[in-house]
Amino acid sequence: MTNLDPITIEVIGSAMTSIVEEMGEALVRSSYSTNIKERRDCSTALFDHRGNMLCQAEHIPMHLGSFIGIIAHILDRHAVNDIRPGDVFIGNDAYVGGATHLPDIVLAEPIYFDDQIVAWSINTAHHSDFADRGHSHIYQEGIRIPPVRLYRAGELQTDVQDIFLLNCQVPRERLSDLRAQMSANRLGVQRVQGLCEKYGSERVLAAGDALQDYAERKMRAGIAAIPDGVYRFSDTFDSNQFTQAMELSVAITISGDSMALDFTAPPQVRAGLNMVYTALLASCYYAVKSAIDPTILPNAGLARPLSVTAPVGSILNCQHPAAVDGRIAPSQRVADLILGAMAEARPGQIAAAGNGCCTGATFSGTHENGDIWVYLETIGGGGGARPTADGLSGIQVHMTNTSNLPVEGLEREYPLTLLRYELVDGSGGDGEFRGGMGLRRVYRVERACQLSIDTSRLLSAPWGLEGGGSAMGSKLDFGDGRTDFRGIIDLVEGQIIEISTPGGGGYGTPSDCDPNGVVRTFNRDTSA
Amino acid sequence: MAWRVGVDSGGTFTDICLFEEETGRIEIWKTQSTPDDPSRGIAEVVKQGLERVGEDLSTITFFGHGTTVATNALIELRGVKTALITTDGFRDLLEIGRQKRPSLYDMFAEKPEILVPRNLRFNISERLRPDGSVEQNLDQEQLRTVLRELASQDIKALAVCFLYSFMNDTHEQAVLADTREELGDIFVSLSSEVAPEFREYERLSTTVVNAFLGPVMERYIQRLEARLVEAGLQTSPHLTQSNGGVIGFEAAAQFPVRTLLSGPSTGVVAAQVIAGLAGFDNVITFDVGGTSSDVALLENRACKKTGEAEVHGYPIKAPMLDIHTVGAGGGSIAHVDNGGLLKVGPESAGANPGPVCYDLGGERPTLTDANVVLQILNPVEMLGGRMKVNKAKAEKAIRKLAKSLKLELLETAQGIISVATANMAKAIRVISVQRGHDPRDYALMAFGGGGPLHAARLARELDIKTVIVPLTPGALCAVGLLMTDLKADFAQSFLTNLSAIEPGQLVERFEQIEAQALDWFNREQIEPESRLYLRTVDLRYVGQNYELQVSFPEGEITKDTLAKLREDFEAAHAQRYGFSPEGEAVELVTLRTEAVGVVKKASIQAKMDKASSLPQPVGTREVWMPEAEGLVTSPVYQRDDLQFGHEFQGPAVVEQMDTTTLILPGMRARVDAYLNLILEDRA
Repeated sequence: MTNLDPITIEVIGSAMTSIVEEMGEALVRSSYSTNIKERRDCSTALFDHRGNMLCQAEHIPMHLGSFIGIIAHILDRHAVNDIRPGDVFIGNDAYVGGATHLPDIVLAEPIYFDDQIVAWSINTAHHSDFADRGHSHIYQEGIRIPPVRLYRAGELQTDVQDIFLLNCQVPRERLSDLRAQMSANRLGVQRVQGLCEKYGSERVLAAGDALQDYAERKMRAGIAAIPDGVYRFSDTFDSNQFTQAMELSVAITISGDSMALDFTAPPQVRAGLNMVYTALLASCYYAVKSAIDPTILPNAGLARPLSVTAPVGSILNCQHPAAVDGRIAPSQRVADLILGAMAEARPGQIAAAGNGCCTGATFSGTHENGDIWVYLETIGGGGGARPTADGLSGIQVHMTNTSNLPVEGLEREYPLTLLRYELVDGSGGDGEFRGGMGLRRVYRVERACQLSIDTSRLLSAPWGLEGGGSAMGSKLDFGDGRTDFRGIIDLVEGQIIEISTPGGGGYGTPSDCDPNGVVRTFNRDTSA
Repeated sequence: MAWRVGVDSGGTFTDICLFEEETGRIEIWKTQSTPDDPSRGIAEVVKQGLERVGEDLSTITFFGHGTTVATNALIELRGVKTALITTDGFRDLLEIGRQKRPSLYDMFAEKPEILVPRNLRFNISERLRPDGSVEQNLDQEQLRTVLRELASQDIKALAVCFLYSFMNDTHEQAVLADTREELGDIFVSLSSEVAPEFREYERLSTTVVNAFLGPVMERYIQRLEARLVEAGLQTSPHLTQSNGGVIGFEAAAQFPVRTLLSGPSTGVVAAQVIAGLAGFDNVITFDVGGTSSDVALLENRACKKTGEAEVHGYPIKAPMLDIHTVGAGGGSIAHVDNGGLLKVGPESAGANPGPVCYDLGGERPTLTDANVVLQILNPVEMLGGRMKVNKAKAEKAIRKLAKSLKLELLETAQGIISVATANMAKAIRVISVQRGHDPRDYALMAFGGGGPLHAARLARELDIKTVIVPLTPGALCAVGLLMTDLKADFAQSFLTNLSAIEPGQLVERFEQIEAQALDWFNREQIEPESRLYLRTVDLRYVGQNYELQVSFPEGEITKDTLAKLREDFEAAHAQRYGFSPEGEAVELVTLRTEAVGVVKKASIQAKMDKASSLPQPVGTREVWMPEAEGLVTSPVYQRDDLQFGHEFQGPAVVEQMDTTTLILPGMRARVDAYLNLILEDRA
């Protein structure tokens, strides 16, 4: 074991952060699909030779779930001795492929130095495809890919690629995005090899270990500062995909410098709203880091003080063949649960509930030339009010952080016109500090197409803290009086549809509000 | 006598560079800045500078000025009360932005302040289609009502941004005309004039920032011009823009958003000229100030430009030199975090209280304190003796860190340097490796007060073999003002598949663009023989959303031109992203012309005779160098004593009024004919 001083560790850590950021930039800039090039629904990471995460770029927290499992799944299926430099593995299956839902396609390439695998270069990109499907079980949701070689010793395996592309609705975008993913991983490989040349692979590996120990120490220090005890929180999970709301709860046990998170949840459902265990882990790691110390490095070390349990076969820990496409919806509620419990453990340090959704609209249809188009967008909402400030308006919260697509890009690429994109008046919860405002998007359909919509907080509302009020929930209006928004909805030319997302909860009792403070900050939801 | 003058006004010092046209003589002078009214400090430094050469302001034939007025007004939110008019349904876009939260994990992070509050953002009915055709006419009655309401609100500026206005500006122009009638000569910023390009949020953000800063810049320029005229200036002054060129005061007042990187851009221009003279075509510039470092990459003596960047959190679409900034400077504070690792910055002690060793009340150790403790910086005095240094206090502050790291004092101080160097290296990787350039193919040009201090270590970190330290590293921006041309950028969006373009269409469009350039040349009174038109185009594969800029081939536009464009684009794509898919369609997005009015520039004369003597150190100092495993007795040279042809080995320290250069063991230093100090690494 090489001994390293804290300064060398910091220096090598900086280099690793640069590498994953560079990979991410290359992926976004050279991709073709709107979901990656403008909405940045992708993530990049480096893993060590044992399959522990060294570093993840700050893109989409949920994608951590894709990364956690992939190396183990590769090694389950392929003997290390059979793996060669230039092999690239592709996978997307939620049960054996290392991802958390099928559109997230993971590419992993081993990084060799002196004939040894020293690390892995990995990225995942949400391919906006597999639209207009059912979600009774995973077999309806798209092609399932276990970790197989897309490249063998640098040679493209066209057989594999052909099977994949034939199962995609927009193959040209898929092919281009795969190329962008390939080039991002290649950069990761070259840069890590460069790092090994400079410092020696032993020191780089030792620094990787030390950085994980460091994240663990910081996590333990943060947990130890919380009084021992059990902190509980319950919240409602609802979705336009089923009629009944369900109760989810968590019990967080703090004992010294460790934390155990135990969830209660109903059995898995025949809808794409189940989470595999790795998705649950990713949600927990996100929320705990955010609640305890946002500066903890996002690597495998931060997970060591945590243990996570949920009933096997429940929507939070589903089993084959449960459908998982919309797993982001329950994962947002998992983040709410953890932060709600932490608000009691760390009073004055946690914000009220954010909009609690990842409102998604997947449009699909056929161009005049017969090609299929798929356009996915996710719409932000209000952020929860903070103990010291109003919540932010019109942002993505928790497990996602995708951008919007410029209107001037959307209308050029798809037969849709955006008539309004604005903040929803009065949607933020009242309070000494107000919750952020939700978003409203109003579209006009220019050519008949299909839409699948996913939102939550229709039967429940984002909660306030310390006397702050609840926010307004989601609202859907398709101009045809419809109240059932399950499954695939046919839209006709000229139809106007309106989607409004929830605000964030308020913080503190409104009576503490400065009576002259109507326009206390620039961003207040004023009557104007 | 005729003098060309460059004045760079920064937070602490105002620098002047004077260049005598006939003799080629160059003089540098510095005075304290006057932040409450920078024009006082500027007038003062001009007066003093000219007095030193025995002249007055009437002898100035060119006056170039770099300023941080716009940048500071943006950082400190000292713009004016601004209203916004948008397409109906989109007034909140300013606040929504790209809907991303400012920090992934930190729920307390704030977005940059929204520059127009919600009650001053107005929806107006009108709508264009993506091709620029009108779907819904502008509702002028509604517009009049809004404008009359604004009249009662004491608004100082108005920003207007309609969807697709870059395709058709009729509606925005109509708002301008009505505004003139209702609100007189209020400052108006139209998105079709400020940034006529695709992507509505970034265009909107740029337009709003321009409006917010407009009246501030106008006032500043009026006051400065009046003061200079009163002092006897007889020529019309110029201001630098973020693109590295200068522009008349009138144009600068109209588009303050184009001057946000005015300061660092001229330093890069000077570096470009000096590196060229010294014989280096490929250079990375490294400008270290008190709170941050600016880096840029020059390939074949030119810095790439970018059309879009985030400046202090605000997306800005304007032609800018591709300069990357990182929060690591002399005042960056070192601390140990709760996981036991040493961190440096981004928090900075700034100029006040400043580093502990300045003895002005600072208590937290900074990068400068580490340099004092290691005795790389003079542990007794700085600024040519004008400032005393308290090394004991610096040691005490760093010893506290050493204790929690369980390291020795000097190891800890060295650790601060290493961590800061790693942060600086990260910035350089962004502009080099992330853009497909290998830093090992470049020389490092170090300037700013702290550049030469850290350049040797940074070069080693990045395997760069050559470091150039120009003669006046602390006043390089002022020098650069005299080395730049007048520049203005003109562009037109032209979204078309490359294979569908007829050469004639390009001829026609460039003619349209260059007609605007011609107007500008005439306004700036540039002689026909001094006019240059530099053409570039933005290209991408059909389906991509980020473009790469490619130079437009010179000569007559033919089918071959189009083939060459494709070829050059593919090469650029392969360099940047590692692949260029065969047979994929390429599309043109924007045509650009940079209009350059070539002016007579300061030129640095080469020394003819090599020194016959050996360089004489003024003394020695014990300097801590882990490269030599401990304290090393290093000779200390005065920069003024170093002459053309002098050579010496590291370890060594070179002191001058505005900076200190560290030369590591294994490095050799030589002085070239332009008195640049060139460090070559043998390691």
